Parts: sequence; C-alpha cells; structure tokens
Amino acid sequence: MSTVVGDVETPSPPRRRFKITSLEVLCGLLVLALLGQNWLTGILDVPAIRTGATVFVAVCTQALPFLVLGVLISGAIAAFLSADALRRVLPKRQAVAVPVAGVAGVALPTCECAAVPVARRLIVQGAPSSVALAFLLAAPAVNPVVLVATAVAFPGEPGMVAARFAGSMATALAMGWLWARFGKAEWFAERVMRKLPEQTDGRSRWLVFAETARHDLVDAGGFLVIGGLTAAALNVVVPRSWINTLGDQIVLGIIVMAVLAVVLALCSEADAFVAASLSALPLLPRLVFLVVGPAIDVKLFSLQAGTFGRSFAIRFAPLTFVVAVLCAVAAGLIFLGGVR
Amino acid sequence: MRRETQNILLVLLGGALLKISFTGTYLRYVKPSHQWLLITAGAIMVLLALLSIGRDLINNRQAAAVDGHEGHTHSSTGAWLLLLPVLAVFLVAPPALGADSVTRAATTNRAVDDGRAVFPPLPAGDVIALPLSDFSARAAWDEGNSLNDRSIKLTGFVVHDGSAAYIARLAIGCCAADAFPIKVRLDDNPDATALPDDTWIEAVVSLKPGTATRENDYVPAAAALELREIPQPEDPYEH
Repeated sequence: MSTVVGDVETPSPPRRRFKITSLEVLCGLLVLALLGQNWLTGILDVPAIRTGATVFVAVCTQALPFLVLGVLISGAIAAFLSADALRRVLPKRQAVAVPVAGVAGVALPTCECAAVPVARRLIVQGAPSSVALAFLLAAPAVNPVVLVATAVAFPGEPGMVAARFAGSMATALAMGWLWARFGKAEWFAERVMRKLPEQTDGRSRWLVFAETARHDLVDAGGFLVIGGLTAAALNVVVPRSWINTLGDQIVLGIIVMAVLAVVLALCSEADAFVAASLSALPLLPRLVFLVVGPAIDVKLFSLQAGTFGRSFAIRFAPLTFVVAVLCAVAAGLIFLGGVR
Repeated sequence: MRRETQNILLVLLGGALLKISFTGTYLRYVKPSHQWLLITAGAIMVLLALLSIGRDLINNRQAAAVDGHEGHTHSSTGAWLLLLPVLAVFLVAPPALGADSVTRAATTNRAVDDGRAVFPPLPAGDVIALPLSDFSARAAWDEGNSLNDRSIKLTGFVVHDGSAAYIARLAIGCCAADAFPIKVRLDDNPDATALPDDTWIEAVVSLKPGTATRENDYVPAAAALELREIPQPEDPYEH
C-alpha cells in the first residue's frame, strides 16, 4: 500500500466508449456507502470497534489541522524560498548545519505531522537531507509548547523538562550526523528529489504555493489515515495492563514504554500527561516514552513511507527508535540523576 | 487518481471537519480549544480544492492554447484513504468514548507520584458540583480532608466491574486517543447497580474517607445519596 510513490498515472490504453476514471469510482463508492449506511453502523456496533472508530476519527481530527499547517509551510518554502537563499542561510558544512536545523525546530511549534512535509520540501529546495531530517526530529519534540506541557504534567520534577529537551535534541542531532555520514540519496523515492521549475514572477509564485500545498495535503493525508487506523487498532488491542505488571523491572520497563510510544502515536503536546499518569513506573521509562514518541510512531512511519518512500522509512525509522531510546536513557541518567 | 477526484475528496474532508466543528460533535474527539483549528483547517482544505478546480476550469476554457502550467498528475493511490474519515464522520459519527474504554484501561485516576498537599477549601453550600478529577484527587491526596462530610454532585456515566458500580468519566489531554478514565465507586445504592453501562447520571455522593489507596489505584468509594439520569453533556470529557 505504501509503494505508490513515484509512478505516474497512465492513460487507459485502448479508447473505449465509456471510460471509467477515478471520478466514477468515487461516485460509485459514495452511493454504495450511502446505501449501506445501516449495515455499516450495524457492524460498528460492537463496543471494541466503536471505541476504535472513535479513536480513529479523533487521531485524524487532531492531526489534520497540523498537517494543513505543515503543507502551507511546505508550499511557502517551495514558492518563496529559493534554493539559493536557503544555501546562503545554512552553514556550508553539514556537521554545523545539523545543529542549526535542530535549533530551528525549537522555534516552530508543530505536531510531528506538520514537520514531515516541511522536511521534504527543504530537501527538494536543496537543503542537505541530514539537515532536513534533524529538523524533522527536533521540531515536534523540543518546541516551547511541548516543554511547557511537560512542565505542567510533572510539577515536582523540573529535571524532566531538561531531560526531555536534551534527549530529543540529542536524538535529532545524532540522527542528522549519522545520516550525513551514512545516508544515501537513492533511498529516497525518486519524486522526493523532483524539483519544481523556479518561479520568479509574483502571480505564479502564489500558484506554486497553492498547488504544492494542495498536492502535499492529498499525498500525506492518505498516509495519515493509515497511521490513524493503525493507532486506533493498537489502542484497542494492546492491553494496558502490561504496564502494571512491570513494577521495578527497569530494562523491561524501558523497552515496553518505548514500544508503547510507537504504537499509541500520541500527539507530542499530550503525551506528557499520559506519561505522568503511569505512576506505577519509575521516571526513566516514562522519559523514554516522551523522547521516542515524537521521534517515531506508527502514524509518523506511515507518513514518512508515503512522503520519502518505503526504502527510506524502513531504514530511518528503526534507527531513529534505537537512537532515541539510547539518547533518552543517557539524558535521564544525567538530568534525573539515575532511574528514580 | 485524477486531480478532479482529489479535489472532491479534499472538499469532502474539509467539509467533514467544518461539519463536526459547527455541530459540536468535535467534542467527542478533541478538546474544546481545537475548534478554531478545525474550522481553519477545514476552510483551507476546501479553499485549496476550489482554487484548483477553478484553475482547471479556466485552463480547460483556454483549451490547450499553450501547454498550460506544470499539470503533473501524480498517482496517489493513498489518497483514496481520505474517504475513510469522510465516511466515518458523515455516515457513522462514532460516539464519545464510554464504559468500554474505562474497562479497557489499566491504570485509572491520574495519580501523581506524591500528590499529598493541602487543597484549597471548597466553597460553602449544601451540595456543590465538582469534576470527577478534582474529587478523586482530593479523596486521595488532600491533607486538609476537605471532602469529609460534604455532599458533592458528580457528573459521569455508569460503569460496572463485577458487582460494583462506578461513576466514571474520561479525561483527555489533546484528543480521545490519550483519554484516561477517572472513576469513583458508588456504594449503598441499589439504583446504581441497576442502571446499565454508559447511562449518564448526576450523583450526589458523600466520600468514604480513606478509601482511595495505592492498592486500588486510588479509586475512592462514596455513598451515593441521590442519582438522577441526565442526557449526555455537550462535552463528554474532562480536561
């Protein structure tokens, strides 16, 4: 399902009298859905499925505004930030440019969904991919909104905010540097690199802006929906009672919380409250939960696979997971002073 | 997928967001402050789609005069999935989370590591209304025992666990995906046990001091003095 990148719609070869296009298919689907409405609500009337459906719609409604924000920024970059200007802003050496991207992430308070189209557009406009990826990981995790939410959720623990900031920033920088050293451009889907013709006059710039935003929205929206479906299914299926049995088994706790961060796909502004409520666990596993969640989760993986291509996502996502866990543990040991 | 179809999907999806934010159904899925975000996002989606439709119409009229704009048609099969939230919103309209989510969750009652504190005193009055989250926090942690011998009105829905009946409500931080339950056991009232799950009630209760302990996940018990069935409140969650 995520291999759809890159191929171009082919016109149906032999000319038929009645051509079925996606438009007719859409109309057909809508009519079918209307006719089958009762049947549809009938099968959804099982408590578990009902809960799943609510969580699905909730994840979509929560994330879509941020995705829209992301595609608008992406459109603006495509239309108004020329490749030359970008090159002038960024330091020449990648090793220095990566931290600049990390700091830029602090200034842009977005959900993780918004960062994906923006990162892609930065690559298209000629930013080194390591820089764009550092931004992708930093923006949702270290922005002021998230840090304030963390401070509110852990009132007696100022170390938690510092540890979260350090862990997430370290993850973004480490991934950026690793990518600068080992990443290969061919892992990206072909169309990620495709450049739009540079526009110079004002009117066509706005057209580029609107068209890029619209196109990115359609592209990424579908993958957001897959992510939402996965998160909803796992939300219902994964037994939360896992957590209660963990107690003081610290290594197991860290692993389970890291996996939980991936499967629950919470928005980075709310995950601190969920972590705070899991009081049966020590602070360190909960910190891991907060650092891993914004860096990689099922929703984000789906978006990355759709935006950058599958062969990118299957390399980038697992590596991010490991790096995020390690950075979180290190940050926890330093700023929380141990497991606690 | 053709551009026309993509645009129609975007109009439908934007329309779905606008619909739930104007009818108030959005409160089943996200927190109230999300409303303007949803309206803006929905409007932008519809606008982008309409702009594109308009441009296509003009381009068609100028009929292949020049080989018009970039005109690339990406196949985005993934875009079909945008239909799912549209159908879910318009045809199914999933209800707010309820008893099923409460029983599914493991930990209940947002417990702070060491929440012992003196809470601000409750206002005077015969019966005062408190959110369930406030009630359970005071029951577990208040050194000043402000709930003792007070009649408190709680709003929530009924959940059963074995023979016990609870009044429960879900609290959300951002959207329903991060909901977690808060519950209070209703004692000494056969009516509470008789009501089916998910019935919304207003209960006047009196806390049984010392019932919220670490062993029961800080779920307090209270004597249910009065029960009244009510329709589901506009905002089904606490925040």
